[in-house]
Amino acid sequence: MAHIHLEDGSFTLVWVLIWWIIALACIGAALWFLRSPGRNNQKLITIAAFITAAAFAVFQINIPLFGGVHLNLTPLIGILAGPVLGTLVVLVINILSAAIGHGGWGLVGANVLVNLSEVIVAYIIFRGIRRLIPDLFSRAGIATFAGLFCGNLMMVAIILISGIQGVTQSSSQILAGLTLIMAVNMGVAVIEALITGLVVRYIGKIRPDILGENHP
Amino acid sequence: MSAAMISEHIPDIDLITTYGERQDSAVSRASPWTKFILLILIVMMITLTSNLVILIAMYAAILIACFMTGLPMRKILAWYAMPVVFVLSLVGIMAWNQPGVPVLSFTIGGFVLTLTDLGILLVITLLIKALISVTFSLFFLMTTKYAHFSAMISRIFPSPLDQIFLLAYRFLFLTLAMAASILKAVRSRGGGLVRSIRVQGGLFAGVFGLVFIRSFEQAERVQKAMTSRGYNGTFAAHTAIPKPRIAEYGLLCISGLAVIMMMWLVPHAGGW
Repeated sequence: MAHIHLEDGSFTLVWVLIWWIIALACIGAALWFLRSPGRNNQKLITIAAFITAAAFAVFQINIPLFGGVHLNLTPLIGILAGPVLGTLVVLVINILSAAIGHGGWGLVGANVLVNLSEVIVAYIIFRGIRRLIPDLFSRAGIATFAGLFCGNLMMVAIILISGIQGVTQSSSQILAGLTLIMAVNMGVAVIEALITGLVVRYIGKIRPDILGENHP
Repeated sequence: MSAAMISEHIPDIDLITTYGERQDSAVSRASPWTKFILLILIVMMITLTSNLVILIAMYAAILIACFMTGLPMRKILAWYAMPVVFVLSLVGIMAWNQPGVPVLSFTIGGFVLTLTDLGILLVITLLIKALISVTFSLFFLMTTKYAHFSAMISRIFPSPLDQIFLLAYRFLFLTLAMAASILKAVRSRGGGLVRSIRVQGGLFAGVFGLVFIRSFEQAERVQKAMTSRGYNGTFAAHTAIPKPRIAEYGLLCISGLAVIMMMWLVPHAGGW
């Protein structure tokens, strides 16, 4: 995993509600944007549903590297679906994940915000550096790593602001512990960036239209 | 093809659905709304309290309910793997240097690391909280029919989020089966063997890429087929959801009162 799914009981009720409200505001904005006139909602809805199912299925696959790695591929969702559909996809994935214990129900709000930062940053970088780096593998790899780095920063910020129930350490001590977790996560992020780069290159060869690339 | 073929420590959606469809216990026949509200109350309870006695009692009660309902306990225990990893990877580090009676202490690179009794208690508490939530979630999933879940999603989420959720939930089974069959094909050609990172990474990237491409192609086909049948962006689930019975209302009232009492008590113990 390149990031941690926070489990129920980690935060106090107040912080659970605060992160849920912020996440719902983001989801509300995505829904408002999706309902705006001139968008082919039927096609977008179907594509979002299949990306959700594919991302959830891919997460189940154990890659036999370094004892076993599961990848969330959240930045890939950003690259394929964009930030608007991506927001809704990460919400549904987090709810499905909470249902099987991969992240708490109360923490869906916080987990959505962590995933959302990955989706948005990966999308912006993948589209933003298209002219600078035309190669799909490198571009997707850089976008994924940057997305996961921001996701980790978001996770650290959320934990530092909320605090973990029962942890009585000072902020600097918590930050030291989180920095260690972040270092491990970024190690896995390198693997995820490489694999996402390969996946995007593979998709680019077979169906470049999915990536919104002009060249065949 | 079962999703269990993909990973043994990840909950098998097919098996969960099979148990959900059985409806051979009193809990299975209870209203899904009762179980849904109980899930919310349980999450609130474990968020509010860190009292180990209450938490252990809750966990034991849920485990007994799972056992009495005939759910596969060994499978459920195996599915704990990821939640346990999540908790330990976060709290396992923060448990060090907590105040309390030192149990274990050593120095690494000039830093003194001390594990205290309260540090161990913190890990155990958060672990039990996570397991309570996971076990009840699985209990809810394994005692509720697919049609009832679909109907609940349709009633809870706003459009078009409900559409995405319903379609994703429907196609999840197809996509999992597709991923499992691709993996089976890869393994049958020696793809499961541990090789260099480059080869292994490329192999699995191909599998992931294929899953996404096939999903996109299916999405296009399904969208065209649904549009030709009159789909206008509304895919409603009209299944009637059983309403809670009097005994279920009683259970919900007692559980709700327990949560309210905990909310009243907790501010005096440290705030919520």
